[in-house]
Amino acid sequence: MRRKRIKYFFLFPSIFWVLAFTIFPLVYSLSLTFFRVRLGKPARFVGLANFARILSDYKMWHSLRITLVYVAVTVTLQVILGLLIALLFHQEMRGKSLFRALLILPIFCTPVAVGYLGLTVFYEEGGPINSILMSLFGTKIPWLSNPFWAWMAILLLDIWQWTPFCFLVILAGLQSLPEEIYDAAYLDSSSEWEIFRKITFPMVQPVIVIVLLLRLIESFKIFDVVYSLTGGGPGTSTEVYSLFTYRTGLKFFDFGYASVLGYLLLAMVSVAVNIFFRRIREVYG
Amino acid sequence: MRRAVVWGIVVAFLLAVAVAHADITLTNASGESITFTEEELGTIAASGEKPFEGITITVTVNQGGPKGGISGPLYEWRDAWEQITGAKLNIVEIPYAEHYPKVMTDLMTGTGQYDGFFIGSDWMGELVAGEYIIPIDDYMKDPRFPKWDPDSLPPSIRTLYTWGDKWYGPLNDCDGQILYYRKDILTNPDYRAKFKEQYGYEYNIPPKTWDELYDISEFFNGWDWNNDGEPDSGIVMHLKVGAQGMYHYASLSAPFCILPGEKVDKYHNVYWFDPEDMTPLINSEGHVKALEFQLKLQKTGPDAQVAWSLGEAWDYFLRGKAVFTFSWGDVGSLVQDETRSKIKGKLGCSILPGSYEVYDRSQGKFVRFDTPNVWGNTTGGSWHGVISALSKHPEVVYHLLAFHATNKISLWNVQRGWTGVDPGARFHFLPPYGTASLDDYVANGFDPEDAKEYLKAYYDNFFAPNIAPYLRIPGGNEYWVALDRHLSEAYTGQVSAKEALDRVARDWEDITNRYGREEQLKVYQESIGYGK
Repeated sequence: MRRKRIKYFFLFPSIFWVLAFTIFPLVYSLSLTFFRVRLGKPARFVGLANFARILSDYKMWHSLRITLVYVAVTVTLQVILGLLIALLFHQEMRGKSLFRALLILPIFCTPVAVGYLGLTVFYEEGGPINSILMSLFGTKIPWLSNPFWAWMAILLLDIWQWTPFCFLVILAGLQSLPEEIYDAAYLDSSSEWEIFRKITFPMVQPVIVIVLLLRLIESFKIFDVVYSLTGGGPGTSTEVYSLFTYRTGLKFFDFGYASVLGYLLLAMVSVAVNIFFRRIREVYG
Repeated sequence: MRRAVVWGIVVAFLLAVAVAHADITLTNASGESITFTEEELGTIAASGEKPFEGITITVTVNQGGPKGGISGPLYEWRDAWEQITGAKLNIVEIPYAEHYPKVMTDLMTGTGQYDGFFIGSDWMGELVAGEYIIPIDDYMKDPRFPKWDPDSLPPSIRTLYTWGDKWYGPLNDCDGQILYYRKDILTNPDYRAKFKEQYGYEYNIPPKTWDELYDISEFFNGWDWNNDGEPDSGIVMHLKVGAQGMYHYASLSAPFCILPGEKVDKYHNVYWFDPEDMTPLINSEGHVKALEFQLKLQKTGPDAQVAWSLGEAWDYFLRGKAVFTFSWGDVGSLVQDETRSKIKGKLGCSILPGSYEVYDRSQGKFVRFDTPNVWGNTTGGSWHGVISALSKHPEVVYHLLAFHATNKISLWNVQRGWTGVDPGARFHFLPPYGTASLDDYVANGFDPEDAKEYLKAYYDNFFAPNIAPYLRIPGGNEYWVALDRHLSEAYTGQVSAKEALDRVARDWEDITNRYGREEQLKVYQESIGYGK
């Protein structure tokens, strides 16, 4: 009897945690979506007006569009590069441990610090990259003053920081593959490409899908690098969805609409995750 | 015996008077001392009783550190102030972009974590309308507190520190943008001759209109006029989104779109909204022309300036790479810092140029003046302290703010560029406009000619007959941000001037509707003195 009771005691912290920090905010923010809320003033019920506002909010559509492009580009490139580097490191080579340790260092950087690092690296008048370009080619790139190049700067930083994560997980997947299959495969074929295409890739695919999924979820939430590097500019060219939501809620205190924006992001990520999981189940049973 | 007693009484009386009126010398963190009279510091400090012993107050300020703009003086004088009052001062530094939301969250949720705030004046409408801060008029009359001089402020600055007839903050910073130029370069006879040859006229120093400034800026852009081996620029501006770039536009555009008049009515002396129905004026013809002009002017500066915040643009000017910039008072004092500046002693300053043509909404066309339409401005934060309505120790906060507003501390701040406290009160200016001494400025590192130029330009700006209206209504921050982001779209070539300003107008309408048009209209009319 006593043992039965004590289990509740041990369960209590996690139940409290989930209720207080997951369920309550979720329900509370859902209720906010139906109100026009301004701190210090009585909330006013507006029904679905906050949801309807999304349809005519060109700023929201703009931030959503650029976020989707960003997610598609960075996640694809990170996974491809991570896979290629993992394949490289899966072979015998000298100094592998050292290179591997160096390669994964960016993962440990705080994203906001990476953004500020970017400010120095991509500084247009005398920053290191432009100084090299000037001395070699007599030209410089408008990294932060041109919408296209500002995106390039963000993409480069993000890819630099998160490719090592993809590499690390995929490498672990590669190293867990049984050697015997390769021994048998080499008896039938000597083409490395053939072996990769027909054995390595299919076997490591579940790991790649998981990496893809994790990066997808994370990339939708991009905030820190953009906030510290470009502030959403030049103009609004890099104002990603999370930055737009942050400004709506915490700068302009429009909590009702910000909650709707938060739910829209949750819905988008949930749909993407569900599609992925469904596909995984279909393929791998 | 009787004579001895009388003498004793006289001596005792004189001693008592001397003690009662003893001057008090305070030393700051840099080791510099200022001597105050009892009247200047108030009886709380003079009594030596430290009535605020055991009280700690917390004030917020823009992040800058012990030697940073606006935050610096608080650190500099903290020990001295704590010594005379017995109170403790907790300084909370918050990055510029986060300061407003943090303060508003504290006030709107009723948390009351902070006792006072060093606010930008554009927050005032929100703070007063929500009754989040308290007026200080009663404290100002009370001899217990340090004495400062509200009458020394020009009406343009006084407006920012008051709402209606009530004062909300003692003097601290006076922000306004003036034109800075390279006097040595513009007066160079060879350059002047070449300019005349090219443009067919001799330019004024300083330029009288924006068009004239454009010609000069274009002339000097793209070649090595300072002989440093690199091409230089005509002008430099700080145009990065989220980094106060929109203030450039606000200062520059005034003469293109504000029709001067005897009073503030539907068509005269208005800039932001139609004072009768809150329709945004930001996409009216005058504004579009102003932004088109700014986009043209921008091309006579470095391409990278659209991603530059204050520090980067100022640094470019201080390194002698641009002939012009227009910005706040910080530039004038930073020029004097030879560790950063190559142009000390070469500085020219003036009120911003004007425009011969201004848009008249009543006629629906541009009208031409015989003399340039020139407007002074109070663009910027004019950062100053206010007292939270939630503070349990408002009198302690007021003591701190009034201490920093005393003539002596205020002047000390103004004469040191790093403090971020810019001149505006009469006692900051040189005779015949004010009472400050040129020797004091020179002793604090100013070049005498630079100091004269700088202070005269600020005097002309703040005491100008026409002062551009200042936006300080609820949601002010949101209106400014909308302006900032869409201007940046135009600066970076993503949209045309007209499209950018149409977008601003659309956003402003949306903001006004959300805040309530009638309420906003009422506060707006109050804030610009509509009908006065």
